[in-house]
Amino acid sequence: MKKPLVKTVNYFLLAAAAVMVLIPFFWMLGTALKSEAEALHIPPTLLPKTYRFDNFAKVIQTEPLMRYFLNTLIVSAFVVLISTMITVLAAYAFARLEFKGKDFLFAVVLIAVMLPQEIMIITNFMTIAKLKWLNTFRALILPYCVNAFNIFLLRQTMKQIPEDLYIAARIDGLTNFKYLWKVVLPVAKPTILTTMLLSMIWIWDTYAWPNLVTTQDNLRLISNGLKNAFTTSTGNIQYELQMAAATLVTIPLILVFVLLRKYIFSGITRGGMKG
Amino acid sequence: MAAMKRDRNPIHYDRAAYFYLLPALVLLAVFTVYPVINTLITSVKLDYRFLTGAFKGFSAGHYLEILRDKTFQRACFNTAFVAFVCAPASLITALATALLLNSIKKFRNFLTTLYYLPQVTNIIAAGMVFALLFNTNFGFINLVLSWFDIDPVPWISGVGIAGSADLYTRSYIRCLFILFVYSLWQGLSLKVILFLSGLQSINLQYYQAAQIDGTSQWNILRKITFPLLSPVTMYVLITSVITALKSYASVVALFGDAYGPIGDNSKMMITIVGYIIDSLDDYLSPGAISKASAAAFILLLIIVILTAVQFYFSKKWVHYK
Repeated sequence: MKKPLVKTVNYFLLAAAAVMVLIPFFWMLGTALKSEAEALHIPPTLLPKTYRFDNFAKVIQTEPLMRYFLNTLIVSAFVVLISTMITVLAAYAFARLEFKGKDFLFAVVLIAVMLPQEIMIITNFMTIAKLKWLNTFRALILPYCVNAFNIFLLRQTMKQIPEDLYIAARIDGLTNFKYLWKVVLPVAKPTILTTMLLSMIWIWDTYAWPNLVTTQDNLRLISNGLKNAFTTSTGNIQYELQMAAATLVTIPLILVFVLLRKYIFSGITRGGMKG
Repeated sequence: MAAMKRDRNPIHYDRAAYFYLLPALVLLAVFTVYPVINTLITSVKLDYRFLTGAFKGFSAGHYLEILRDKTFQRACFNTAFVAFVCAPASLITALATALLLNSIKKFRNFLTTLYYLPQVTNIIAAGMVFALLFNTNFGFINLVLSWFDIDPVPWISGVGIAGSADLYTRSYIRCLFILFVYSLWQGLSLKVILFLSGLQSINLQYYQAAQIDGTSQWNILRKITFPLLSPVTMYVLITSVITALKSYASVVALFGDAYGPIGDNSKMMITIVGYIIDSLDDYLSPGAISKASAAAFILLLIIVILTAVQFYFSKKWVHYK
């Protein structure tokens, strides 16, 4: 029905947009594979003349990038574990239980969703400094352990489970906790996985807070480590190594995304992502 | 349902609920609610010393001080540029892309995934790559320009800008352009997904009816698609403007810790969040934390006002089903 010309133009425009999106990735990977001399050649070559895969090995040897990866994994693992438990419990209370002050407390959660983290950074920094927690993993983990948006998202999912099921279960003598464990969790599993993934992406990208509360190399997260890598004090940058490091940091998250796309998309289309 | 509940009177209150909520509420109280209140109080404390907690009374002086601060004014302007120029531009581009994607079948999933890649790229890595793309000597952009016999453009360059207002302005405009291109690239992905899922939730019957009536493509877009998509548009607008108001890491990755090209000492590309974090750098000196708090509270006010304004106007042109 549609004119073939219109269709061709549509595909052409979409392909052009795809090329624009891919250019930075192309240049990152291309530069990462150049030799030191070629990376400093003026004008630059479009494609590397020789492919230097050992740049990646060099990056890992010269910068504690693996240490940064490990730190990020440790922090992500703790944050995901703790915040998932906290989120599931709170979401269940808001979705299923009756208690005094419910509306007020839920309003607090909704307001917390809207408040930007960046406003809290000053007081949280003071809190952490007063606790003498600067340069500890606790400082990196604890403030991320509660996520109002995840509570909201999970509560919406749990609300969709019919109340009759709950009443029947209670009549059968199931405790709240057993009901949550045996009935609610299996149903809410996809949403829980979504919140876990969003938390992981959050930690992977986080920059300002870790930069503020850690000064030691052995506590750095991946974004902070990458930011400071391969730039000499005079501002000279080893571009091929910097881009190789950027590639190494980029690939894991892209892999996670491609494999678990479904869960990430369902999370964002049901209420956006934290900024 | 309500009647049923009343039959089972009295409503059964579960005291266990508080145990379920306790961990979340404690953390929210410490890391979210208290910080907002404390930020407001700290911002009006005069000569506040972090280590002792001592201060010399209350005053709105810090607000006046930062409003007069050239660096804060610059931060406000740059932040406004990202929020009110870059974010709307990427919204329009994303809407157009989503409309195109919605009109095709083959490759739709593939392209959607591809467009989403910038969103899962580490923000620091992405900023570094863009800095290299626009590098005067080794950048891709100047390479492409050279194919058309255009001389290399010193995109991120601070040569001579300290002494010349004209050179400063030129350098500044080029940096804003880079930030614009970056924001477009980075912001597109999330918005395309949201618009596409909005478009796909529009009932096909509307389109079938319009087709029977012989309505033109443009009128279908204007009279059916845009009105029915307006709640999504509203949502995307609010969230993307708020996200833009919080810009920080991308600017640091693009322009470095000094927020500008080498040779610039005015923090040319600083944002409001950058200003807050810079004020924290010397948190031990009296008044520094109050200054940061005042800046944070101004940012919070802007975000709250914008959200309110957008919700108010949304009532006038958003069509909810």
